[in-house]
Amino acid sequence: MMTAPLTLSHYMIVAGLLFLIGVFGALTRRNIIGILMSIELMFNAANINLVAFDRFLHPEGVTGQALALFVMTVAAAEIVVGLALLLAIYRGTDTVYAEDFNLLKG
Amino acid sequence: MLEQIVFYSLSALVLASALAVVLHRNTVHSSLFLGLSLAGVAGLFAALGADFIFAAQIMVYVSGVAVLVMFVVMLLGRASDLHLRQINERWMAALLVCGVAAVGLFKVARLHSATVATGAARPSTHDIGRLFLGEWLVPFELISLVLLAALLGAVFFTRTENAR
Repeated sequence: MMTAPLTLSHYMIVAGLLFLIGVFGALTRRNIIGILMSIELMFNAANINLVAFDRFLHPEGVTGQALALFVMTVAAAEIVVGLALLLAIYRGTDTVYAEDFNLLKG
Repeated sequence: MLEQIVFYSLSALVLASALAVVLHRNTVHSSLFLGLSLAGVAGLFAALGADFIFAAQIMVYVSGVAVLVMFVVMLLGRASDLHLRQINERWMAALLVCGVAAVGLFKVARLHSATVATGAARPSTHDIGRLFLGEWLVPFELISLVLLAALLGAVFFTRTENAR
């Protein structure tokens, strides 16, 4: 099994497992920073899939890799705004735990 | 054979450190494991022959995002956090969601169990540059606007009232 040639499904399974670990973290971490880190893991799983599809199904073009670069840019923007929001909320509520963020609850 | 060794060891590194990110009680250690996991993903990109994405992953994620997260963790952390539960009480429901999604993902992945790579991987930097400054020029310029908006948003949210 270890010497069998690598197929697209190998990469898809690794990306799928990484995505599921990210989903589990985003659903269960109490710390907002932990949730943001889990979201980064999910972005990376999507990027692995994009690059793997590009390599295995369309080796003549680079569209998948270019799309992965766009995902990377959006992920960087997301983490910057998320952490800035977290800093602003922390200043007001003095907590980083998601269940304590209930200012907007009626 | 070398290809398989590289793939399996990098995958083990990525998945083990991703589990540590999600499950570790200490957020500082979590953010260090995040850097390790992202570096492993960069290695997978290199194994796939995507040289430019490999370099971008190292520059943007490992030395940008992971370091930024580490800064914020150390800025906001308290010593008392180490004794608190970091996982909420609904972890069993989350595990159920992941299990159901895993069944679907494995069914899809099985469709490609005979797809092998054809030909050798080529350097992609030149082609990506051509694509971005040719066919994809408008999305390329729009994504720079997104980055500008994120920059302004970060400054706007972290601004304090008395610092004008």
